[in-house]
Amino acid sequence: MNAIRTLLHYKERNERTTPRRVMSKAEKWKLCLTVFAGKMIGLIILITGIKLCTGLMSPAHAADTYTAHETAMMNSINTAWTLVAAFLVFGMQAGFVFLEAGFARQKETVNVLMECIFDTCLCGILFWAIGYAFMFSHGNGFIGTHWFFLSGAPDTYEATGIPVLAHWIFQFAFADTCSTVTSGAMIGRTGFRGDILYSIGVTGFIYPIIGHWAWGPDGFLATMGSDKNFLPTLGQGFRDFAGSTVVHTIGGAVSLAGAIVLGPRLGRIFARDDKARGGMPPPHNLTIAAVGGFILWFGWYGFNPGSSLSAMDGQGIGRIAANTTLAACAGGMAAMIVAFLFGNTRGKFDLGFSVNGMLAGLVAITCPCYWVSPLGSILLGLVAGVIVYIGVNLLEWFRVDDPVGAVSVHGFCGIWGTWSLGLFATGQYGATGPTGPDNSASQLVRGLFYGGGTDVLKAQVIGNFMITAATFIIAFVMMWVIRKLPHPWNLRVSKEGELGQGGLDVFEHGIEAYPPQSM
Amino acid sequence: MYKIEAIIRPHRLEAVRDALREHDLIAVTVSDCRGAGRQAAPTHTFRGSQYSHGLELRLRVEVFVNDSHLDVAVDAIQQAATTGEVGDGKILVFKAEQAVRIRTNERGESAVH
Repeated sequence: MNAIRTLLHYKERNERTTPRRVMSKAEKWKLCLTVFAGKMIGLIILITGIKLCTGLMSPAHAADTYTAHETAMMNSINTAWTLVAAFLVFGMQAGFVFLEAGFARQKETVNVLMECIFDTCLCGILFWAIGYAFMFSHGNGFIGTHWFFLSGAPDTYEATGIPVLAHWIFQFAFADTCSTVTSGAMIGRTGFRGDILYSIGVTGFIYPIIGHWAWGPDGFLATMGSDKNFLPTLGQGFRDFAGSTVVHTIGGAVSLAGAIVLGPRLGRIFARDDKARGGMPPPHNLTIAAVGGFILWFGWYGFNPGSSLSAMDGQGIGRIAANTTLAACAGGMAAMIVAFLFGNTRGKFDLGFSVNGMLAGLVAITCPCYWVSPLGSILLGLVAGVIVYIGVNLLEWFRVDDPVGAVSVHGFCGIWGTWSLGLFATGQYGATGPTGPDNSASQLVRGLFYGGGTDVLKAQVIGNFMITAATFIIAFVMMWVIRKLPHPWNLRVSKEGELGQGGLDVFEHGIEAYPPQSM
Repeated sequence: MYKIEAIIRPHRLEAVRDALREHDLIAVTVSDCRGAGRQAAPTHTFRGSQYSHGLELRLRVEVFVNDSHLDVAVDAIQQAATTGEVGDGKILVFKAEQAVRIRTNERGESAVH
């Protein structure tokens, strides 16, 4: 303490001894004026500079130029981002397998697992051979006509700067999702040979060709509203950021067609026929189903943010990830509350509806995720949760047997999600791009609730309707034809296969999911 | 008083219960079981191996009835459980010496219903 006190005294003494120069009033004024004048001169130079070099100061990134090195760096980062997203989307297959197996009855579990595995393998081969060519190559408004077997494809896809093969694997994961969605509503009575036939149709033709309309470089819905294209007076193209329509509505519409053509599982009693016993047969493993729901949610972080194909749009992918989360939260909660208030589940906190509601929110946010605000995501997720509840009950009333709720979750909520962009787009965000977002005035998307009028909504409804209707009709015809084939190639397994010893699993695959352990 | 024990195909259970309900026989005891009969046992396959433990999945349905209900109950089960194929199962009837309702300690016929 003493040492510190000494130090302080020493400092005080020193300060006291420092000589201070006393300024006169005139001198003070002079100093003030000099400093002020200097600041003014600096300000004038700055303003002049801004006036002269507006081009350099404007925030539009289009004016920016990058060196070859910088471009290569950006493309590498974007590619790494896209691949990470592709791996996450691929991980959704595990989620689908879990969800579908958990919601199925025990005697059709091996069949569910097998269909998902086979669909994935088939989809990879077909998407390499023809799918990617139909969907993403140039051609006409209806179909792509180049790059079959990926031959002749350029190094990088369009303006994204991403290698075609990286783009291919990302899009393969999407196509695979669509084909797996389809199997969900057809569980328990589809013969495996029938599954092979319709899967070829879905992953090789229906998804890529109809997907081309919205996502192909020259698809007629993608270019809709511009000069010399489809509906030029509309002034708006069809937008589907990550595939509420392209992936989920197509998957949902095909599965609805399949479920109608197949008819219900034998012994399935519908709620309106028998109030006491009617309804969905009990699922066989809810733990697995709930885990599957969460794995799907996790995979969705690749599905939506990854669809930017650009890690340079940091604001964009952050916003998408947050919106995705909020819509899922809102959807799960809404479905739980609606099921708590109405119907047979009244008074119960229903797991099946909550898991499906969560997925409904995710499906709905898939299309508008880039253009809406967090609050908008919550609102549209809430609506999705209610839609899934209504959808499940509606299908039950129409006597359509959909064991996992694929039609309600992916079909109905895919449609809602696509429309919701026309309502909830904030008008602050435009398009994403390989070097950053493009928020120039011509790109901005503004929905009805934000004073943007009905143009975007119209474009969304038109695009979604054309895709849904075309998919349903084509899929219905395809399923109907396969249903007319002789056994065993018929879409529906024979009666023996459904009711025989060990059910569909033993009939088609030779083993039960949980075989007795006698050794 | 009798105990009826029926071994039936799993997917006939709903029909059997419906048939019993028509005679006001609501109480049943059902358990999973595996067994062998005259029907050829199924062969299972897994990763290149073939195996058969010679046992098929069936349900065992136990119903307790009074003398007056015995015939209608047996007929109801037989008609509901049949598919006409080999392997439909068996119905066995045992005479019960005593029945006790645990809750009230009732004995005899009144304890069965």
